[in-house]
Amino acid sequence: MSQDPLEGCRISAGKKSAVSLGKALHPPNLLVVVEGTCGACVAASPVSAPEGSCSYNVAHHHLCVCVRVCMAWQGLQKGETLASLKQESENLRRKLEEERGKLTDVELHQVAEKVETVAALSIKTRRVLKGHGNKVLSMDWCKDKRRLVSSSQDGKVIVWDAFTLNKEHGITLPCTWVMACAYAPSGCAVACGGLDNKCSVVPLSLDRNENVTAKKKSVAMHTNYVSGCSFTNSDMQLLTSSGDGTCALWDVESGQLLQSFHGHTADVLSLDLAPSETGNTFVSGGCDMKANVWDMRSGQNIQSFDNHQSDINCVKYYPSGDAFASASDDATCRFYDLRADREVAVYQKDSIIFGASSVDFSLSGRLLFAGYNDYTINVWDVLKGTRVSVLFGHENRVSRVRVSPDGTALCSASWDNTLRVSRT
Amino acid sequence: MTSRMPSSSSVTQARQLVRQLRMEANIRRIRVSKASSDLMRYCGEQAKYDPLLMGIPASENPFRDKKPCTVL
Repeated sequence: MSQDPLEGCRISAGKKSAVSLGKALHPPNLLVVVEGTCGACVAASPVSAPEGSCSYNVAHHHLCVCVRVCMAWQGLQKGETLASLKQESENLRRKLEEERGKLTDVELHQVAEKVETVAALSIKTRRVLKGHGNKVLSMDWCKDKRRLVSSSQDGKVIVWDAFTLNKEHGITLPCTWVMACAYAPSGCAVACGGLDNKCSVVPLSLDRNENVTAKKKSVAMHTNYVSGCSFTNSDMQLLTSSGDGTCALWDVESGQLLQSFHGHTADVLSLDLAPSETGNTFVSGGCDMKANVWDMRSGQNIQSFDNHQSDINCVKYYPSGDAFASASDDATCRFYDLRADREVAVYQKDSIIFGASSVDFSLSGRLLFAGYNDYTINVWDVLKGTRVSVLFGHENRVSRVRVSPDGTALCSASWDNTLRVSRT
Repeated sequence: MTSRMPSSSSVTQARQLVRQLRMEANIRRIRVSKASSDLMRYCGEQAKYDPLLMGIPASENPFRDKKPCTVL
């Protein structure tokens, strides 16, 4: 049975009804009397709905107005109250858990018992990038595997060459707390945003003398801070997450909003795009403790996971695209399989009591690097669920960890104003 | 159902939630055992290409610790 019995109905309301419709769209949510018949329903007589019932943006949904009004009226009449809807959502949640539980025949770490243990890692800090005057909040690698961009609390965005430690570009934003930065796939531009509620794209020039800050272009506009940004497969589209509880997809050239994603009930702190082979989805995590998977084309929330006990600070896809990991203030990182539609591993230890701020997978997906607020980076065996190693060095919270595109290096950004590049 | 509605009453929100949950409950799922073995297989196949996991032989590693050298 279709979710919405009215899908596919066309507007066939008469002129009088069209006028009444206009009134229906204005607040306060009042549906007025609509008269006339329509091609799809049988209600030929005038119907009305009590004040306070829902209003609909008819132009978008091509609804048969009088039938919709009928349904709304009938729905309310049948005793469908807020309480009954709440009860139904509770029942559905229980059903969701049951369905997920039915397919849990074994745990991931049990299946992984036959896999060889990871050999001792010899990852060491090889480069320390100094130059930011304040906490480094975010960073991103360029596809050329040697450049990276970082952003800081003092409003500065710096593009570095990680081999030579050269600072190639410095961009100054008029706001503090630049929480998000991303490198464009072509390597020719960077995006950055934060407390200014915007995400701007800055084209990078080969000419050292040119002032790159002057060419900065605002692309995304939110009603609260921008917490994360990412280019899609090209330089032309930008995906952003915001403290206003939404994610949005923007056209870089025109600044037009292409799609918005509503569903989180609190600030969205992080997003990650699925690896290109697996199609048009992305995952987001926020202060409502939920991780949501979205379809980029329709704006629909496809799957939702609410296992965390506190804010989710970071989400990252597994390299194959079939799973993703999350880091949270509840001091755990979790691993979810998208095809099984459930959490399949929790990475935690009694000795770890500080929140995890960031996660990233190694190239094969066997290792999960997680940065914590206790200044360390824990390296987890994704399959077995055990901790393989701890990386020390930072003198304040680790805000972001990212593995380089070729998998040879790990870059970590920290509130100690530095970035560290670590390799074997 | 994208939310293009003007201010929604709590009834609309509740109905939206029910609709969303109904859709989520009806998606197709696979067994955890199958999902786990696929994840393991992916890790196994890609492990040899993972430098952080496997390490890089000292001869190829541009970042290896330098040995002391003497100038003749």
